[in-house]
Amino acid sequence: MTSEQSSLPAHLDPTTYPRTSHDPAQNIHLTLTYSPLDANTYLAHTSSPEAGANILFVGTTRDTFEGRAVSQLSYTCYPPLAMKTLTAIAEDAIRTHDLKGVSIAHRMGVVPIGEASITIAVSAGHRGAAWRAGEEVLEACKEKAEIWKREEFVDGGKEWRANADRDAEGKLVEGER
Amino acid sequence: MASINETHGPQSPTGTFTIHYFATASQYTAKNTERLPAPLQLSELFSLLEERYPGIKTKILTSCGISVESEYVDVEEDATRVIQAGDEVAIIPPVSSG
Repeated sequence: MTSEQSSLPAHLDPTTYPRTSHDPAQNIHLTLTYSPLDANTYLAHTSSPEAGANILFVGTTRDTFEGRAVSQLSYTCYPPLAMKTLTAIAEDAIRTHDLKGVSIAHRMGVVPIGEASITIAVSAGHRGAAWRAGEEVLEACKEKAEIWKREEFVDGGKEWRANADRDAEGKLVEGER
Repeated sequence: MASINETHGPQSPTGTFTIHYFATASQYTAKNTERLPAPLQLSELFSLLEERYPGIKTKILTSCGISVESEYVDVEEDATRVIQAGDEVAIIPPVSSG
């Protein structure tokens, strides 16, 4: 065996975060951070005089999974791909809904129960587009962003999740297996 | 845009590529990252990993995406692609953000 795994790869080293990306032309802000998420910061990213509708989604960590008590959750990501994917999601939403801005932030590492793990802020001229875009951006992130959640249970077990197994109501999606 | 420059890692011994494992793949290999001999034809990646981690192909890899140098590749369509020394490969299991 080799002895190379002693050094932590950069993408798992919290000191290499936050990883951010800002495109002023399209008003896109992307953040991957090990620090607590401040929703107002991300809402402020996208508000502007031309935007009459501002949607903020805050996803927080839940204390149970199928009735099993969760003690804590942690997230890891692969920034080279995650940033590309989030950029594509934001650009697509701006094109489709004529948005004035998009801000996506995801927390990494341990996120204590009840704290924000993801925030999505979108702004548009009017509410219809903003509501739709907010949901679309969130669902696209859940489906595609190269970020993984691990639940640690009070009974001691640890499990990596896969979003494809659950729909937006938390119901089990029947696969073809 | 983000200025991320970690492609070739801190030290990059010649004759190897870096492979990163995430989520269920890191659980199965009990590693986050390692170096494997390069060059390696992409079509040989799964059998090399299967040799090192018996059972990984059917239990993990068939449901994973694979990236080389931050681009997704298809192990069948891009079978003749060669992973070069210094390349960064990642095994991407089904994601779970949010």
